[in-house]
Amino acid sequence: MTTRATRGTRRRTVVALAVILAVLSAFVFRLIDIQVVHADDNVAASLSKLGGSSPVPGARGDIVDEDGTVLASDAFVYDAQLDPKLIADYEKQTDPKKKPKMPWAEASEKIAAIVGMTGDDVRKLVSDALAKDPNSQYAKLKNGLSTEKYLALRDLGLAYIANKARAIRVYPNGAVAGNIVGFLNGEGKAQYGIERMDQQCLAATNGSISYKKGQGGVRIPGSERIVGAVDGGTVKLTLDSDLQWYLQQMIGEQAQRQGAKAATATVVEVKTGKIRAAAEYPSVDPNNVNTVDPEYWRSHIFSDAYEPGSTFKAITAATVIDQGKATPLSHVTVPAREKFPNGTVINDAFPHPVYDYTLAGALIDSSNVGLSKFGTQVDPATRAEYLERFGVGQKTAVGFPAEQSGLLRDPAKWDGTTMYTTTFGQAFTVTPAQIAGAYQALANDGKKIDLSLVESCTDADGTVHEATAPQSEQIIKPETAAAVRQMLENVAVQGGNAKTTKVDGYRIGLKTGTAQKTDGHGKYKSGVFFTSMVGIAPIEDPQYVVVVTLDEPTKMRSSAANAAAFQQAMTQVLKTYHVAPSSEPMGPLLPKFN
Amino acid sequence: MSLLNVRVQPRTETRPAPARRLRAVTAPAGLRRPKLAYAALAVGGAMAIGAAQMIVSLASTQDAFALAKLNNQQHELSLQKQALGDELVALNSPQALATRADAMGLVVAGAASYLRLSDGAVLGAGDAASWVSTVTPNGPTKVGNALLAPPPAASTETPADGAGAEGSTADGVPADGAPAADSTAQDAATQSDLPPAITDGLPSPTTR
Repeated sequence: MTTRATRGTRRRTVVALAVILAVLSAFVFRLIDIQVVHADDNVAASLSKLGGSSPVPGARGDIVDEDGTVLASDAFVYDAQLDPKLIADYEKQTDPKKKPKMPWAEASEKIAAIVGMTGDDVRKLVSDALAKDPNSQYAKLKNGLSTEKYLALRDLGLAYIANKARAIRVYPNGAVAGNIVGFLNGEGKAQYGIERMDQQCLAATNGSISYKKGQGGVRIPGSERIVGAVDGGTVKLTLDSDLQWYLQQMIGEQAQRQGAKAATATVVEVKTGKIRAAAEYPSVDPNNVNTVDPEYWRSHIFSDAYEPGSTFKAITAATVIDQGKATPLSHVTVPAREKFPNGTVINDAFPHPVYDYTLAGALIDSSNVGLSKFGTQVDPATRAEYLERFGVGQKTAVGFPAEQSGLLRDPAKWDGTTMYTTTFGQAFTVTPAQIAGAYQALANDGKKIDLSLVESCTDADGTVHEATAPQSEQIIKPETAAAVRQMLENVAVQGGNAKTTKVDGYRIGLKTGTAQKTDGHGKYKSGVFFTSMVGIAPIEDPQYVVVVTLDEPTKMRSSAANAAAFQQAMTQVLKTYHVAPSSEPMGPLLPKFN
Repeated sequence: MSLLNVRVQPRTETRPAPARRLRAVTAPAGLRRPKLAYAALAVGGAMAIGAAQMIVSLASTQDAFALAKLNNQQHELSLQKQALGDELVALNSPQALATRADAMGLVVAGAASYLRLSDGAVLGAGDAASWVSTVTPNGPTKVGNALLAPPPAASTETPADGAGAEGSTADGVPADGAPAADSTAQDAATQSDLPPAITDGLPSPTTR
């Protein structure tokens, strides 16, 4: 029974309860707001204050050669900087307990000795920075210090030196395969070469590590969250770095000896189409690219298209034999100079009386008129198609950066001169790599295998991705290839360079080429040539194709300049791969004349 | 009005009042002393729990410091490894090996000859290598390597460097004869650095 007395009390109780409930619900409301509605924002805000995170850089992948020799890898260098304000403060400090043990004068001498500057330079650096801005806390000391120097600086124990680590690319073998490997620019972006071609395999994915810090920067256990970095993969090339070094050294010497502007030497394995060496002179050293002209930063083996000249006479001969229009013993009458029905005048490189050359003889003496007569027995469209089958006008399957495809004009548009000059390797352009590819087909019984430079890409976790298997195509009949090889052996034995290119113990096939270079204004340069020499060895069971080119040799102006280089290159290749010497002697010589 | 008519009700026995539990407050009951054991147990238990918690959290955070220390050590060692690796990086390159070999007088020869074991036939060139190297690794066109310091001159290559295999040089013999018990530490170091002298000819493998 509610009396007046009890009613008063109960009302007060109710009111009090209501007030309490109201306050409580306000708290609950706020709590829900903080913990449920704005939970993520608040967590993030808190992490930003007491959490830390740092990126974990992944290492860029290595580039290795066939045997595992490292051609490119990552290393760390350090950028040192000084804190001028702190130095000045320490100097002004009078309390001996707060001063560093080493005064600035002595410290600057020690620092200078480590980084390779003079003490005066170091002190000037700091005083200049302070003069510009008395509160400056940053003065660059030296960039690119090695780890050893960084450790020496750090061991000085000075609070005003800061060292930042920076990843750089190191090429332990220097200029060996430098033209193939390529290099990175200052920002770490790949330029040229395999660095760029296989960027996807080599590039690393950065991870990150986030944690909460306690006092002193110690990470609170259990609070670390790591997203792992994924290192780049290792790219394995088909090159042999020792052979590559030898060829680079040798071709450099030969280019100097012959007074040539540049030179290349390419070695292709016949049975697989793998490029075993791609040597050039001048060759860029990726550690220091400024030692050569920027023209030579790219590989001329893939990026330099030129008219090949007589080396493509063998391709013309293959075309003619494959079409059944001639055999190595077919003959035509060949004067030293001939005016053809459409008015084109073709000269041979040397004066001679009218000869009755066989096809073999025309190749041995490298007669332009002879090949013009043989070659035009096949119509231009077919000849152009065969040239394309041999790889002219299309890039090789290597896919090298800045690779040229060369140029072969539409046969329907060939003018009168082009009709004839295409039979002896003028009026179309190819790169040394394409020449090697064409001769690989001749050596491999007419089966052209795509050239390849990369063996595989091995991920950081060990998964090996083999390069896609190269495609192969039978472009001429095996009998045609055998006939052409027999003629090439006769060129090696009966030709003018027989003595200078002889490789003791081995039977080789050879073709020389002395091509005219365009002067850029529609005419050919006079007196200087682009000389090349292509060889296959051993000819009875071909294993390797070697292409040696010289750009404008001046001491000897014809392809005889390449003889010594070719002989040394072929000898070294056969020695490197332990190719068995030829056991069967050569068959009877093919007749040059009818 | 007499009281004659009033019947006096018989007085019933008054029921005794129900026993009341209430008693007048007299002296308070004696305070019983609480058992010490229970209190000690309670407080001790609470303290033990607190201590255990502190120890566990100390232990787990101690690991963080140990981990930090080990991480530092690992970082330090990998820096040293890198510094050492930097010194070696270019020494393996073909240029370095070739220039040092050339400085020692080694040559790159020409074609190789092959020995066929079945009949002892010699295939290939069949003549001895000439003394003229086919390439000049130290010449003006040597393949460059910016990582290489200038190679040491040939004169600084002491015979002991390359003569690890030859044991019979004069260098290898000094203190070998009579190792005295009181030989100095330096002597001992010299002895252990040099290969042992060969007195009975090259050791030959035992065959069965």
